[in-house]
Amino acid sequence: VKLATSTPDLESAAATSVHRSGWGRVRAVQRSAPVVQLVALVVLYAYGAATLQGFTTSTSIKALLVLAALLGLAAVGQTVVVLLGGLDLSIAGVITLADVLFAVLNGKGWAFLPDLAVVLAIAIVLGAVNGYVCARFRIQPVVVTIAMGFIATGVAQVQVSNFTIGGVPHWLSRFSSATSTTLGISVPPVVVMWAVVAIVTGLVLARTKLGRRVYQTGSNPRAAQLALVNTRRVWTGAFALSAACAGVVGVLLAGFSGSADATVGTQYLFTSLAAVIVGGTSITGAHGDYWRTVVGALIITVLTTLLLGHGYSVGDQQIAFGLAILLVVAGYGRDVRLRDRV
Amino acid sequence: VISGRVGHALSALRRQTFAFSLGLTVVLLVANVIADSSFARWSSVPLTLATLAPLALASMASVPAVIGGGLDLSVGPLMSVANIVMVTVLLPHGLGNGWLSIPIILALGAAVGAINGALVSVLRFPPVIATLCSLFVLLGAAQDLAPTPHEAQANWTNSLSDSIGPIPWALVILVVPVLLWVILGRTSFRRTLYCVGDDDVAAFTAGVDVPRTRVAAYALGGLVAALAGLALTGVVHSGDSSLGLQYTLIALASVVLGGTPLGGGEGGMVGAFFGAATIYLIQNLIDALNVQPAWLPVVYGGVLVTAAILGGQFRQGAFTSSWRNRAATRAT
Repeated sequence: VKLATSTPDLESAAATSVHRSGWGRVRAVQRSAPVVQLVALVVLYAYGAATLQGFTTSTSIKALLVLAALLGLAAVGQTVVVLLGGLDLSIAGVITLADVLFAVLNGKGWAFLPDLAVVLAIAIVLGAVNGYVCARFRIQPVVVTIAMGFIATGVAQVQVSNFTIGGVPHWLSRFSSATSTTLGISVPPVVVMWAVVAIVTGLVLARTKLGRRVYQTGSNPRAAQLALVNTRRVWTGAFALSAACAGVVGVLLAGFSGSADATVGTQYLFTSLAAVIVGGTSITGAHGDYWRTVVGALIITVLTTLLLGHGYSVGDQQIAFGLAILLVVAGYGRDVRLRDRV
Repeated sequence: VISGRVGHALSALRRQTFAFSLGLTVVLLVANVIADSSFARWSSVPLTLATLAPLALASMASVPAVIGGGLDLSVGPLMSVANIVMVTVLLPHGLGNGWLSIPIILALGAAVGAINGALVSVLRFPPVIATLCSLFVLLGAAQDLAPTPHEAQANWTNSLSDSIGPIPWALVILVVPVLLWVILGRTSFRRTLYCVGDDDVAAFTAGVDVPRTRVAAYALGGLVAALAGLALTGVVHSGDSSLGLQYTLIALASVVLGGTPLGGGEGGMVGAFFGAATIYLIQNLIDALNVQPAWLPVVYGGVLVTAAILGGQFRQGAFTSSWRNRAATRAT
């Protein structure tokens, strides 16, 4: 159920009905499913399979899925926040904080569940403050989340400078290992977790009242408010969700690397946003869903693996990454012409 | 009569978008002097201004794109590229003197800015996506040119923390973009830019060449970002690719702090300068109070959120006007 038919959509629909060309039909299909992205994913994967040895072995596919799962999980909340017309740049900081705090508390002898509960509670509070402040005081989320990112990174640094020892339970390291199995099936547990989360998020966004409130708020906050949606609560909840996801990813990353790392979140600063955008969820809000982000996370992971496999330098990887996002978005995400918006 | 005049002057000032950040700057200046009296000594001013310059210029560089209704995330990396090109390309090839390096670097910055502008307004990419991509490309280029920090040879930027006669060099470099902005205020460009940022469709209908205005705005931003790169070279004396990302975030924060809301049509470069000064003075104060350095980002983030909230309230007139006015503001 898409209540996302805000004005730009109607206008672009009008524009496409004027030029009823083949391209117009492609765009109409693109609006309901991420076709261009799926084609790009297949092409990238096929290119990798053709040029890199061992790209299609089950081990490397599983390794790829683990990385995509971590990125995809980090981008669950980001997707919802972008659907609201916001932006969360504090994800990197919260991931770092969760990673460090979890390892430090574990090193002090805390059991897994209380440790996880404390880490997630702190993350959720930070996220809720993000959303509440943005909605209550009408401040741009960019500023608030940048500031919150600084706070989270700072607290993580303080932890690391005070206690250098940290650890993680052994089973948690197995959780995100490409070689481990889930209940006997040879799929890493983190990938199964991602699949479950993706299905739940997708269904909640598309089929529940909660999901509809997100689209309503994103497409027109004032109209949503008049329709008795508590938009402030929606914003608070969405940013809290985003921080909670970042917290989970931080804990998983602590398991992945086996110790506290105060720089672990940095790589997710813009890639979590890139996964959402490449997937095709509109940055202006209300258009898109989590399925697209799943495809986006897969595209980004395949691309990164591909560049790494071809032995490009870190700098060349970043350049190619930037150009590739531009190319993928060129297929579907460009704005409507000014003269068509008059 | 006098109090009336002062009142008039104050209310005129309050209407300026930068009033809040100006006030914060003054308060923080006083706090800094109290915390460390050597801060007020005249001899330390040139160095203070020189260390403020990269951040202040970076936030001024972010302003034109934001006023035009867009966003430029690539300011920090562009600054980094300018810094690294200066250190690893121009200096070793003997092109490092001011007469050659300044025009080359500024042209590079303006060209990258114009490409950003063309991506946004001619090819119609959403600004966040277009400049996110150029952020990655520029970061990559910086990384390729200087994988590790690269020591700079002695060059003219080293003297940026000195003064010529009584005037600190850094002040000269800081005044350049402000002067440019004031001169542009005399032309139709600046007014057109505010129009475009406020409502691009209306501007288009009124016959404004919207793409050209936006390309020019991004190019202006790129030029100032390159200048920031040169100022950075003067401070760090090396080419370092790891600095770019942080500058983008802090510059954006100081733009909003300085009264230029993301969304367009409002604000200005003077505000961005005071926004940057606020952030710089907060950092300086934390240093002067001998807080453990690891806490710096925490304090810094907390102050940023508080300042953003207070700034927003200030713009909506929550502190001075009567409740009736406030209700009216909220209703609009």
